[in-house]
Amino acid sequence: MDETTRTVLQRVVRKVPATRLREVLRTWGRVPARQLDLLDFSTSKFVLFEDVRSLCEVNSNRLTLKHVCELEMIYFIGNPAQGVWRACHLTEPDDDVMTVELRQFKEQFKARLTELISNVSVKIKKHDDEAVWIRIAWGDHFHRPNQLKPTYVVHHLQTPYVFVYNLSTKHKPLLYQALVLATRHGSMKDSHLSGKSLTSIRDFLMRSYQQAFPTKYARPLQEKNTAPTNPNIEKEHAEQEEKRLQLACEAFGEGNVPRLETATYKLETRYRGSGNETLNNREEPFRALIKFSSANLLVSLNHCVSAGMAETPVTPLLSSITQKGKNYFVITDKGSGNSSQSMVQKK
Amino acid sequence: MSTLKPFSKIPELNSANVLLVENEEQFQKKLADVIVNAEKDVSVGVRLARRLPLPVENEETRPCIDLVVFIINLSFERSFQSVELSLKYVDPGFFLGKVCFLVTGARCWSVSSDRLQSVRKLATSLRCPLLYAEDQTVEGVNTAAARLLRVLKVTAGLTPWATGLSLSTLTRCTLSSDLEGDFD
Amino acid sequence: MSKTMSKSHNVSEAESCIHGAANRSSRRSERRRADVEDPFGRALEYFSQVKAGTPVKGNDALENNLVLVERVALGRGLPPGAVATLLDFALSLRLGSSVCSRVLKFLIPASAVPQDSVVRGVSWFCMGKMPVSAQILFLRWILTMFDLIDSKDQLRSIYGFIFSFVTDEVLSPYVCHLLYLLTTKEHVQPFRVRKLLEVQAKMGRQPPLTQLLALYKVLCPEMIAISMPSKTRGGFKNHNLPWKTALAAVLKKNKTAEAPSPPLSLDIKEKASTRKRKLHHLEVPQLSCGPEIESSRGKAVHLQQLRSFAQLLQNLDNIELPAQMGSLLSSSLALHYLDCVHDESALLRLNFWLGSVLHEEFLFCSRDGNPENSTEPSQFLDICLSLPQECFSSSEFFLFKFLAMWDGSLHQPQILSLLSDIPPLPVSRMKMFLFEPLQQLYFTSSVFFKCGVIECLRSMLWKWLTWHFVQTSHKELDVSLSSSRTMNLHMSEFLELVTELVQYVGRLASAGLQLENYHILLHHQTLNFYELVCDVYLKFNLPLFLLPPSGVIFPSLLATDPVTVDRLGYVIFRYRQNLMSAKEHKQQKKEPSFHISRDVFREFNLLMVAVVSCLWISKDCQVDVGTDVHKALVPLRTMLSYCKNYNLIHHPAFLNYAIEFHQKCWPEQTNVDLSSIQGKKYWYWYLEFLFSQGFDGLKDFIQNNMDHQSTPVGGH
Repeated sequence: MDETTRTVLQRVVRKVPATRLREVLRTWGRVPARQLDLLDFSTSKFVLFEDVRSLCEVNSNRLTLKHVCELEMIYFIGNPAQGVWRACHLTEPDDDVMTVELRQFKEQFKARLTELISNVSVKIKKHDDEAVWIRIAWGDHFHRPNQLKPTYVVHHLQTPYVFVYNLSTKHKPLLYQALVLATRHGSMKDSHLSGKSLTSIRDFLMRSYQQAFPTKYARPLQEKNTAPTNPNIEKEHAEQEEKRLQLACEAFGEGNVPRLETATYKLETRYRGSGNETLNNREEPFRALIKFSSANLLVSLNHCVSAGMAETPVTPLLSSITQKGKNYFVITDKGSGNSSQSMVQKK
Repeated sequence: MSTLKPFSKIPELNSANVLLVENEEQFQKKLADVIVNAEKDVSVGVRLARRLPLPVENEETRPCIDLVVFIINLSFERSFQSVELSLKYVDPGFFLGKVCFLVTGARCWSVSSDRLQSVRKLATSLRCPLLYAEDQTVEGVNTAAARLLRVLKVTAGLTPWATGLSLSTLTRCTLSSDLEGDFD
Repeated sequence: MSKTMSKSHNVSEAESCIHGAANRSSRRSERRRADVEDPFGRALEYFSQVKAGTPVKGNDALENNLVLVERVALGRGLPPGAVATLLDFALSLRLGSSVCSRVLKFLIPASAVPQDSVVRGVSWFCMGKMPVSAQILFLRWILTMFDLIDSKDQLRSIYGFIFSFVTDEVLSPYVCHLLYLLTTKEHVQPFRVRKLLEVQAKMGRQPPLTQLLALYKVLCPEMIAISMPSKTRGGFKNHNLPWKTALAAVLKKNKTAEAPSPPLSLDIKEKASTRKRKLHHLEVPQLSCGPEIESSRGKAVHLQQLRSFAQLLQNLDNIELPAQMGSLLSSSLALHYLDCVHDESALLRLNFWLGSVLHEEFLFCSRDGNPENSTEPSQFLDICLSLPQECFSSSEFFLFKFLAMWDGSLHQPQILSLLSDIPPLPVSRMKMFLFEPLQQLYFTSSVFFKCGVIECLRSMLWKWLTWHFVQTSHKELDVSLSSSRTMNLHMSEFLELVTELVQYVGRLASAGLQLENYHILLHHQTLNFYELVCDVYLKFNLPLFLLPPSGVIFPSLLATDPVTVDRLGYVIFRYRQNLMSAKEHKQQKKEPSFHISRDVFREFNLLMVAVVSCLWISKDCQVDVGTDVHKALVPLRTMLSYCKNYNLIHHPAFLNYAIEFHQKCWPEQTNVDLSSIQGKKYWYWYLEFLFSQGFDGLKDFIQNNMDHQSTPVGGH
């Protein structure tokens, strides 16, 4: 086992929680299950790594980097919530875009990427749910691929969506170009959507969650309040509450909404009030970065509005998160009045 | 949009009505459920409001209010501000024993003692009782509900030998000087 | 060195036995280690011999040795010799400060830290070459390992050197903490006090500094004139973060491996579940097992080393207290020890610890905790209750603060019993911090809470009276039983306080009874209180006669429950006994200081007349209320006109007894005419009948009040 393989293996053993490690190793299948059962997973990771390594050495005499990368991928596919995933959008499809199939894609992608950059190692694996997982370790002319900081790409064939994890700006154009060519599209751009949960941002982008649509008529109460309220309890502000609830659901969906963690607004705006000359005559726009963060942002915003903490009607700045499927916005002053005056109160 | 008056409606027999005012609308719901289910002898009505003044549309259906409870959550600055604004719409007659304050989150470490002190000042200046409640536990909610119910039954005239005013004079908040400075 | 190695080897073998045979590979690595014959020893040798200026970067030998030693340290701890070598290596900064802090971070001793090495470390520290971060790390290391240092006499002798760092702004908190742990009475010198005050003036009242000063004040009160705040916020922080888990693991491992004889099992409880909580450390720290090594002179003995009571007695003078005072709470032996040695500083430290824990847990809890799980805090309060030192000033301060924001149900039993431990304080303070908030809670809470409050105040009064009695009757005895709560009230203040308390309970009881529609439980609780109050003179030798208000007497007199009336009879009887003996005493001694107001006698007489005329004279009772009609008597007057039908026969509480008696006397009569009992002969038989039913209070009352006027049975 060479040095790189060892380090990558060590990293994987360190990263995977002790409770899951057995499962992951079993799926990997390089170590007989009988020997796995004898391992003591409650010891420190240091000892555990030594044990796993010696088991690997005993059982498969030629354990290569490829195998270890596969182990990492197995864990990663099972637990994609390791960091921030970004969504990208493929545009301008060619006519034969629907004919792309897996093997062809694999070959194409690898070929294109190695054309663009010499030292790169790519591993592609198809997951059960039709998604193609790509692990890319980047290197350059003088260095071998860095296996410790791989980029992960998830793409569902025949859809225009690509999800990327841990991609540096340096490698961005390379990956984009390889993908565009392999999937037969014209170009590819950033969707300005990111989040920790891969499934959530996928659902969010594909709009596969329960949405409420604006109606003129208030829906009957029974539809929502399934729990019967005591006749002796009377809400004085029931109507307003109902209205707020409706508005909140229209803006942020209802029920089980996808999990987003942040919404970021980058502002470059001008002061347009009367009276204050120094503020009015500034050359430079005011720059600000506003970031909303929560464990589940849509639910939080929904709650803010329905509980009356934020004003109604919902400002388009917030409702455009769901409408446009983005959580990163750049708001610039285009001269004429635009929608950047009213910010909701921050929770 | 008018002030809330204590005697604009005729009280009904064997019934008591309490108005819970809370800006956050969280604790009041829990309280209301417990209050309504706890009392079996008299019919207790609970009105929930976010703030005063109350909407005019409900004027007709609203019964005679026997007790107004202002719930202040010390974790939120707005909670106190909202109560301060609402107080303007309460008829002075209510302050003769029919108003009380309920404070939650007083033990929360992030709350500055200034906020608590200003609530105390408010209650003292209005000569109203100030109750503390634990809103996070079931037991705390039950206790708070039971205490409110006890006060409500007095103010509604359902407890013999006692009136809201007499109870209020016994329990009204007093402004103790700050413990920190005084204790040494 | 070889000796330590063989020992550690044994330990590791024992370990692998415990872990079972499965761990094949680790055994293999063990074998490999043995093959290369003692690499650990060679690593230590390397560290003791490495020259200053050896390059660090790319130095494989250094790296290998560091990793090796680190693994041993985190695995089973370092033997004392290794600790000394490594500490010396690290602090000498031979290979730079980054290696120094790296070594310090894994410097986990297996059993003990030799004192010499710490002293050497301090001398490196004093040379002033170390960067500040390393200095802080070293101080924190000492603070963490303080209990493991085998003896502290030499450290105490270099107190002055350590003290000189107090002026350093960054180091000051840690230095203060270390000094706090080391200080004995001899160390408190005027020049040091001056220095500390100077530093305090410069840097403000920082908690560590204040606490050190407070300790100085306790040890030598004459040297420090400034007043100390009795409460603390913050105090000393725990500095054990980098080592905490590793140290605990190592100590635990070694403990199980060696399997020592069970220590004197005095632990209050085993921790079943130790929750991880960020802000809260409510758990009573464990008495960490210190080193078994006796120090050179065989002096200082750790409390936790004691195995038997005889040992405790032998070593009573040489006992060393642990650094973490909170750990004493888990051992009742330790607490009793503290109580009998009168160690002011130890009590003060315990007081500080308790205060800060109570504050953090109950007054500053975050909202997002696990609120449903309230057993642990209440268990902690139970521990506080079980302290032999009754009430620390910090817990008293906490109680007052907690009371001001209490909802009346959270930890109710514990809080109420802690309240009853409050010592007598000046009236104004008592009123503001106890009476006012308690009253607000009392009137809005349930009848059971009301009973609880009255009972709590009763037990508080009882404790005060007992103290007072012990203090006054045994003047020659040193009764400052626990120095933390000496009663420093004057007699007049104490009397005022007791009067205020009794009157306060009177107000609570009469208004409470009215609100609760004369609930029988509250009745009994109230009378329970007055059973204590009425005997204050005879039982506690306190010339104080405080009668219950009419709001208590008349509801009890007219209660429908015979036992209530019976108890009232007993209370009045005891009042009479007390007043009589006070009067006799006054006439015998003719002491001018001994003064009982005439009002008391007049008031009592009025009360007697009212009660007697109600229960005894059934006919229109004429009460002479005197010329000046007291306001409080107005209800009495109006009430008396209704009293006609409340004699012992017609009284609602005794009605069924009267009917039973009537049936026994005239079994053949069908229509019951109760007034026929009022005949003289029958009346006494009826009384005898009542007494036989167990109404002893009534019996005492009637027999003592009525024998001189045995005929006035009204009616005939």
